Amino acid sequence: MLIRILKNSFLKRPKPVLLVLLSITMGAAVATAFLGIAGEVSHKMALELRSYGANILLEPTALEGGGFLREDDLPKIKTVFWKYNITGFTPYLFGVADLNAAGRRERSVVTGTWFSKELQVPGEESTEQGIKGMAPWWDLKGRWPEAADEAILGAALARRLKLDQGSEVAATVRGTVQRLKVCGVVTTGGFEEEQLFAPLVTVQQLLGQQGKVSRVLVSALTVPMDDFGRKDPSTMTKDEYEKWYCTAYVTSVAKNVEEVMSGSRAKPIWQIASAEGALLTKLNAVMLLLTLLALGASATAVSTSLMASMAERSPEIALMKAMGADRFQVSAIFLGEVLIISVVGGFVGYLIGNQLAALISHTVFNSSIASPLWLIPMAIGSAFLVACAGSIAPLRRALLIEPVRVLKG
Amino acid sequence: MSQTTIKTSGLTRSYGDICALKPIDLSVPEGEWLSVMGHSGSGKSTLMNLVGGLDRPSAGSLHVGGQDLSSLSEDGLARFRREYVGIIFQQHHLVPYLSALENVMLSQYFHSVPDEAEARHALERVGLGHRLQNRPGELSGGEQQRVCIARAIINSPKLLLGDEPTGNLDHKSTLMVMELLKELRAEERFTVVMVTHNEEVAAWGDRTIYLADGVLVREERTRP
Repeated sequence: MLIRILKNSFLKRPKPVLLVLLSITMGAAVATAFLGIAGEVSHKMALELRSYGANILLEPTALEGGGFLREDDLPKIKTVFWKYNITGFTPYLFGVADLNAAGRRERSVVTGTWFSKELQVPGEESTEQGIKGMAPWWDLKGRWPEAADEAILGAALARRLKLDQGSEVAATVRGTVQRLKVCGVVTTGGFEEEQLFAPLVTVQQLLGQQGKVSRVLVSALTVPMDDFGRKDPSTMTKDEYEKWYCTAYVTSVAKNVEEVMSGSRAKPIWQIASAEGALLTKLNAVMLLLTLLALGASATAVSTSLMASMAERSPEIALMKAMGADRFQVSAIFLGEVLIISVVGGFVGYLIGNQLAALISHTVFNSSIASPLWLIPMAIGSAFLVACAGSIAPLRRALLIEPVRVLKG
Repeated sequence: MSQTTIKTSGLTRSYGDICALKPIDLSVPEGEWLSVMGHSGSGKSTLMNLVGGLDRPSAGSLHVGGQDLSSLSEDGLARFRREYVGIIFQQHHLVPYLSALENVMLSQYFHSVPDEAEARHALERVGLGHRLQNRPGELSGGEQQRVCIARAIINSPKLLLGDEPTGNLDHKSTLMVMELLKELRAEERFTVVMVTHNEEVAAWGDRTIYLADGVLVREERTRP
């Protein structure tokens, strides 16, 4: 009988039903769109943030390796559990050399590094690693070194030595001389402006440290730190450790990398990791807040529509009560209607929200996106919650209807 | 007519400063047909609403079918209405989007379990076996009132209340409805309380009471 009542109620009163359906559908669509792109936005923002610098520093331990890491170990970084989260890494070898350029001399830091090295790891796609990808904010006048005898200079150092593109400079370390052609001058706004950068292999030969690096900067996509992520892994149970290890916290990714680099100690660069985590947390909070606001607006619209519908149906409700319907039976009829409208509205809202998410993703990030299927029950559930929230006031009003007042002749 | 269906003592109903029903003592035996007469505002509908559990008294006692209605909760009163009372309204008050059959089944739904065959039989008893699937808007006033009667009797109530049930009907339809009620009462043996301002309709009852300004001013037995 309830089904008959609901069916006839829908068929014979299409206008108010469509109004409520529209309110619920819009809420579910906006919620689906926001939740659908939330993951995408976080991912894109995390990628954007990666361009602001590495978030993991890999250093040699004091006891092993004699203060160096092995260059041979570097490809292993792209084989770890979190390899797909590691967007790039760059090795550095530091030394001090006497620079001589057209009679001008200066003792300066010489840094050997990868500028843009094609890295081929067995079983993996080849990748470009090095400072070019890791420090996109560097303002380079000239070009990146391509040959072993090419170098770039920090802007401050270049000014003092009066060097520019096309100049030559000789670097001397303990009697070993390496002549370098300056192919670019770099402005970074940091200490790098005081250094000379040359290919890693060149600086290794100059310093007599073949196959060695001083440190590695790693850039990894991570999730914001929470209380669990901040726990000391050594105090965790086995299950906790597994959960921690399998979550892309900056600490767990660092630990992951540390395990493949012999004699290394990996440390998160907290000013980057924390700022990034805080930003992503805030971004997610904004998305959630917008979703809740959309659902709240939808619930208000549902409430308004149902209030109007309830006023129109007060004789019907009064009659039901006069016939002996109790509060539960009256509620069952109206919540039954709301449930059916929610399921339909939630599903239609998912379909619309999916398209909306794709449109936003395409417009803002120029990428395609498909909302995950788990958003279907999520959309229907949120639609039902919205409908229930929007029904509270109208239902309360319905239950307070006095048959005597409404049905009097 | 041995047991008492309705028993009131000092029954009063006020709305703010207005006293719609002044203390009234009334006893209605089981199976009696009581007509309640009075002008508009005399308190007759107020009395019917109280007896039907649709309203609560301001003072006095009210027992219907042995139950003290003053002591019942909202849900208790709802249960009393669906299990004990059938109501026929002047304006029918049928659900417009349900068919005649479904309107009768709605009453069954609130009472217990809808039984289509039983509802169909009830409509056949009131002469509407051929109008089962018609909606109220497709029925005449007299037919709508007969649907209303079928709905009121479907759960075999002990007390049938009529609030000007023929007030909107022409003379012919009025006679048809009253004949029908008489037949049903003879079969079902329910007690009837019928509010009317029509002397002719009131005469169908066993007894008539007259109200004026909320006071029971007179009563007369129309049948022995």
